[in-house]
Amino acid sequence: MRKNIKYIVYLVLLIAGIACKKPYSPTLAATANNYLVVEGFINSGNDSTLIKLSHTVNLGDTVSTAAERSAALTVEGNGKTYQLNEIKAGVYAAAPLNLDASQKYHLRIKLSNGKEYLSDDSEVKLTPPVDTITYDIKSSGLQINVSAHDPAANTRYYRWDYDETWLFHAKYISNYRVVNGDILPRTSDDQVFICFGNHSSSTVTLASTVKLASDVVNNAPITNIIPTSEKVSLRYSILIKQYALTAEAFAFWENLRKNTEQLGSIFDALPSEIKGNIHNTTDAKEPVVGFISVGTMTSKRIFVDKDDLPKSWLVEYPYDCQQDSTYFVNPLSRANDVAAFIISGIYLPTYAITGPKGGPAIGYGRANPFCADCTSRGVKRRPDFWRDK
Amino acid sequence: MKKFYLFGIWCLFIAQFVKAQQPASPVISVNFQQATIQTVVTDIESKSSYRFYYDAAQFDSLKITLQATDKTVPAILDLAFSGTDFHYALNGQQVFLTKTKILQTTLAPGFFGIKATPGVSTAPVSPVTTFVNDGDKIIPEATTENKLYEIGVKTNTIDAGRATLSGYIRDIKSGEAVTGASIYITAQKTGVATDQYGYFTLSLPKGRHLLSIRGVGMRDTRRQIILYADGKIIIEMMEQVTSLKEVKISADKVANVRAVELGVTRLDIKSIKQVPTVFGEADILRVVLTLPGVQSVGEASTGFNVRGGSADQNLILLNDATIYNPSHFFGFFSAFNPDIVKGVELYKSSIPEKFGGRVSSILDVTDREGNKKKFTGTAGIGLITSRFNIEGPIIKDKTSFIFGARGTYSDWLLKLLPDAYKNSQASFYDFNLDISHQIDDKNNIYISSYISRDKFKLNSDTAYSYSNRNINIKWKHNFNNKLFGLFLVGSDRYQYDISSFDNPVNAYKLKFDINQTNFKSDFTYYLNTSNTITFGLNNIYYKLHPGTYGPNDAKSLALPDVVPAQQALESALYLGDKYDVNDDLSVSFGLRYSLYNFLGPQAVNNYAPGLPRSSTSLIDSTNYSSGKIIKTYGGPEIRLSARYNLGDNLSIKGGYNTLRQYIHLLSNTTAIAPTDVWQLSNPNIKPQYGDQVSLGIYKNLKSNTIETSVEVYYKRLKDYLDYRSGATLVLNHHIETDVINTRGKAYGVEFMIRKNTGSANGWISYAYSRTFLKQDDPAVGQPVNNGNFYPANYDKPHSFNFVGNYRFTHRFSLSLNVTYSTGRPITLPTGKYYYAGSERVYYSDRNAYRIPDYFRSDFSMNIDGNHKVHQATHNSFTIGVYNLTGRQNAYSTYFTQESGVITGYKLSIFAKPIPFINYNIRF
Repeated sequence: MRKNIKYIVYLVLLIAGIACKKPYSPTLAATANNYLVVEGFINSGNDSTLIKLSHTVNLGDTVSTAAERSAALTVEGNGKTYQLNEIKAGVYAAAPLNLDASQKYHLRIKLSNGKEYLSDDSEVKLTPPVDTITYDIKSSGLQINVSAHDPAANTRYYRWDYDETWLFHAKYISNYRVVNGDILPRTSDDQVFICFGNHSSSTVTLASTVKLASDVVNNAPITNIIPTSEKVSLRYSILIKQYALTAEAFAFWENLRKNTEQLGSIFDALPSEIKGNIHNTTDAKEPVVGFISVGTMTSKRIFVDKDDLPKSWLVEYPYDCQQDSTYFVNPLSRANDVAAFIISGIYLPTYAITGPKGGPAIGYGRANPFCADCTSRGVKRRPDFWRDK
Repeated sequence: MKKFYLFGIWCLFIAQFVKAQQPASPVISVNFQQATIQTVVTDIESKSSYRFYYDAAQFDSLKITLQATDKTVPAILDLAFSGTDFHYALNGQQVFLTKTKILQTTLAPGFFGIKATPGVSTAPVSPVTTFVNDGDKIIPEATTENKLYEIGVKTNTIDAGRATLSGYIRDIKSGEAVTGASIYITAQKTGVATDQYGYFTLSLPKGRHLLSIRGVGMRDTRRQIILYADGKIIIEMMEQVTSLKEVKISADKVANVRAVELGVTRLDIKSIKQVPTVFGEADILRVVLTLPGVQSVGEASTGFNVRGGSADQNLILLNDATIYNPSHFFGFFSAFNPDIVKGVELYKSSIPEKFGGRVSSILDVTDREGNKKKFTGTAGIGLITSRFNIEGPIIKDKTSFIFGARGTYSDWLLKLLPDAYKNSQASFYDFNLDISHQIDDKNNIYISSYISRDKFKLNSDTAYSYSNRNINIKWKHNFNNKLFGLFLVGSDRYQYDISSFDNPVNAYKLKFDINQTNFKSDFTYYLNTSNTITFGLNNIYYKLHPGTYGPNDAKSLALPDVVPAQQALESALYLGDKYDVNDDLSVSFGLRYSLYNFLGPQAVNNYAPGLPRSSTSLIDSTNYSSGKIIKTYGGPEIRLSARYNLGDNLSIKGGYNTLRQYIHLLSNTTAIAPTDVWQLSNPNIKPQYGDQVSLGIYKNLKSNTIETSVEVYYKRLKDYLDYRSGATLVLNHHIETDVINTRGKAYGVEFMIRKNTGSANGWISYAYSRTFLKQDDPAVGQPVNNGNFYPANYDKPHSFNFVGNYRFTHRFSLSLNVTYSTGRPITLPTGKYYYAGSERVYYSDRNAYRIPDYFRSDFSMNIDGNHKVHQATHNSFTIGVYNLTGRQNAYSTYFTQESGVITGYKLSIFAKPIPFINYNIRF
């Protein structure tokens, strides 16, 4: 609600033309900043458990290098211990655990440097199924909503994340390709015009029904796709994953969302430390980021086809593209541009240019790879779940 | 001239001449009590053969009180006139009474060789002199400077003692009381200022005095009085037209040095009106913010911070009514209509014992009284708001009203928005209606009322509205010249509601309100010339509905949720004395005993002792029935200040104050949001306590035209409520688990130089001040900053203000306003990490960094129409530029993730020079 107040203030001022927003990068003392970050949840059902370990880095550094490797992770509870194995850098996995839903479980982390961490004992939250995924066509775009309910009214707190997959095409068709210095026509197998794009959620989406008479989530907004997005250019699909949370976990996620997605205005809540449920076994004051829940996950997928959407929605290609003619013998400079631009791999050949009388190509149309090769941004392999219209 | 006068008297004597018939008679007995000369003469003539000749007009002021037995007439006359200006002369049986001159009835000795008769020797008698109020004597309306006004019952002799002069000062034009005018008697080196109703009381030696009277925006004037006994005077003052644009901070030029209080600033509306503001409309709170020791978290924010106190620690009074939300329109406007307001007083250090209930400051805003003589009004047009006021007599010279209204027409602005926001709305209005009635010279009734409402809505999603509603009735009664009483009954309310109707399943309405019913009695007793005693009793009954949540649509599943109402009674008994020990040392000491009772019905949660209060340490709850006293808090509050004069224009002052606050504003935002919740102290939430020690040096220069002061202070706060990380403050049934008792300390030094008169006037202030908070409650698991001190949101160490006005002519003046302060503290991200599909930031310790420093300068031109008195309307314009240099001051900085990457932004509002114009009509 404060967000809205803030927006009104901004709006009034922006219209009046007197407010302005500028990038801001404060000079910060380079503080030693190396706190453990634990992400994931213990899947008590018939699905694998994935835990990612990383650590915080200074603002100027890149986070991709922050994986925490070679740690020993175990899920413990009900007198049993389950081992997790590092399947790639900083990612630890266990086969389906099928835990007893009436028991409590925790995660134990032993880092390679000897530090040991424990998550608080958590009850197993069983997630009700996703009822429906609906969409609304709004002037702002395609709005995806989710509905769920729990007749037993035990869930109350919900979190969702999602994976989006969509079919899209490159701006130009590349009919040729360079193979060992030769330009050859593409076969249907190695066409790079149509691909599948993929994106996972990067925002925290939460809902709570504690203030409602029954445990019903009605069309909670999940994401909005703007009309010009490539995601809705051909066919779009979203898989929404639903997690039931405890009140404490909800508070953690809510705090995470508030702290990192909407902050700064004097009408917004002040940032506050994010207290998770993971602690250093010897130093309780050491900050650890993350919250480990135990429970199940449910999901549902829908498809939205271009034909379901307004014809007036016109996709804007995300890059500025153009094609140029490229000749073996440049009419002006007499240089071999095909060798310089296409065979060198800088550009892709799109179409062949023949002489006035036909015959072998005297040159090719050329375009940037991101204009003619969809694999620069997507994959050609059709996902197993994909259903055509 | 004098000769003609004497000749006239002589003629009169001739005209009244009656021949004496009897020789000198023996003794007679008389008994006069406040007798006029007529009575005396008639009595003596009836008892003797003497006949009197005199000019009745000369003797109208003489009252004779005399008891004599068996005395000769000359002896009686000797007694009657001894020590006065009056004389008698005997010529046989003829008695000639004269004033000043002695009539010689005989020729000069030796003129005809006749020996002069010596005067009759006086027998010892004891004249009984009493001074009583003359019931049918009307109170003189002292309107001219050159007349000598007689106060009290005129006596033949001026006794040696002192008498009390009480009076009332009003504006000759409107009949309105003049507040804060000073009455100074140079010869006695004593003075007093009128109270907010225009009354004053002064103890003086009997005799003749010259009163020098100075009032805010009034022409300095003098009155000559001769004080015979306790009495009253009404003084009428004229408005000083030429000082229309003069800065007047203090009503009393010597108050800076002479007043006992420290840390008190008075501003009148004229000086407020000349300070440039963003939309051109005079704004009281903006001007208050230019005073040293007053801070805010940013432009366009509600509330202000005084000497390190939080925004809810200020008691904001409008005609003694508590205003819970002093802002409109997200803080762009203050709740006070500048056309109605007369002036404001800010108490940041010495808080009089009659005020209480907040630990930081008192902002006392007073409305004008309506014009008692004729109907007048004003209207003003600005870019976003318009305002109108009308005032006039209901019964001429007795009853008057003043009405003010303001409203916005900003919706046109929102209509210009892109489609997505076209349905947004934001508007406010407020109304003031005050009535004052003079029953007689001892009784006055004042009724004041205020209502405001703000509404805003973003694109038909969620609508917000809030409203202040206040009404009170005051009765001021003068028991006698020394004892004044003020009795108040009133009711104050603040409410807000939020409603959502976009999604019928979730449609809800959330309501909050706080009500207080006030009963106050306040007495001032002028014990003697060196002691002024105040005492009284305050009662406030609170009824607070912390949250009522329910469906707003038939289809809505919103589950009604009502946080039970809270009620409490806050009472305070106080006694204070301003004691002038000697000419140089004055002490003001007050004691206020406040008592707070949290009342049923209520279910109070009980927590395991020694553990952090949380849902896990909750044991059970106890139900209390209606009216049952659940918890009592209370204690004495000390209000002490003293002043010592080091010279005529130099003084040193010190003060110590303790205060208690039983009501808290729960907010987890930097500024007050309209939707923050007030909370009463209860068994789980302790009242706030604050104390402050302050010391100041004051010096006036250039015959009191330049005032300077330096004040230092150290302040402690206890049990201020901060919130737990991630706290929910709305609709929380166990709010005590989400708040943390916090300690605070604040210290600083404040410099101020101001010039109140002349064509160039204004003030310069600089303050160095720090404010720190600390959560060291052992019952808190993980306190903010690990229990160490951290700077408060409004901790701005350096703050500089310049407010200046230069008057070129009576109709044209320029104002300039310059503000600099250190940027406010913020919590910045120091690290980042990847979580839930995005980069996220890790925040520093709370408030470990600061936004860039703040600097702004504003400029305005004030152009008045002509000053001809007889014209239907008077016009004036204010044209100016806000943020002259266009500096992009950071309003806030924030870090947000966009497409999975952290980006920092600095938001500036009023980021370029903003021109404004305001047009005002007075009729």
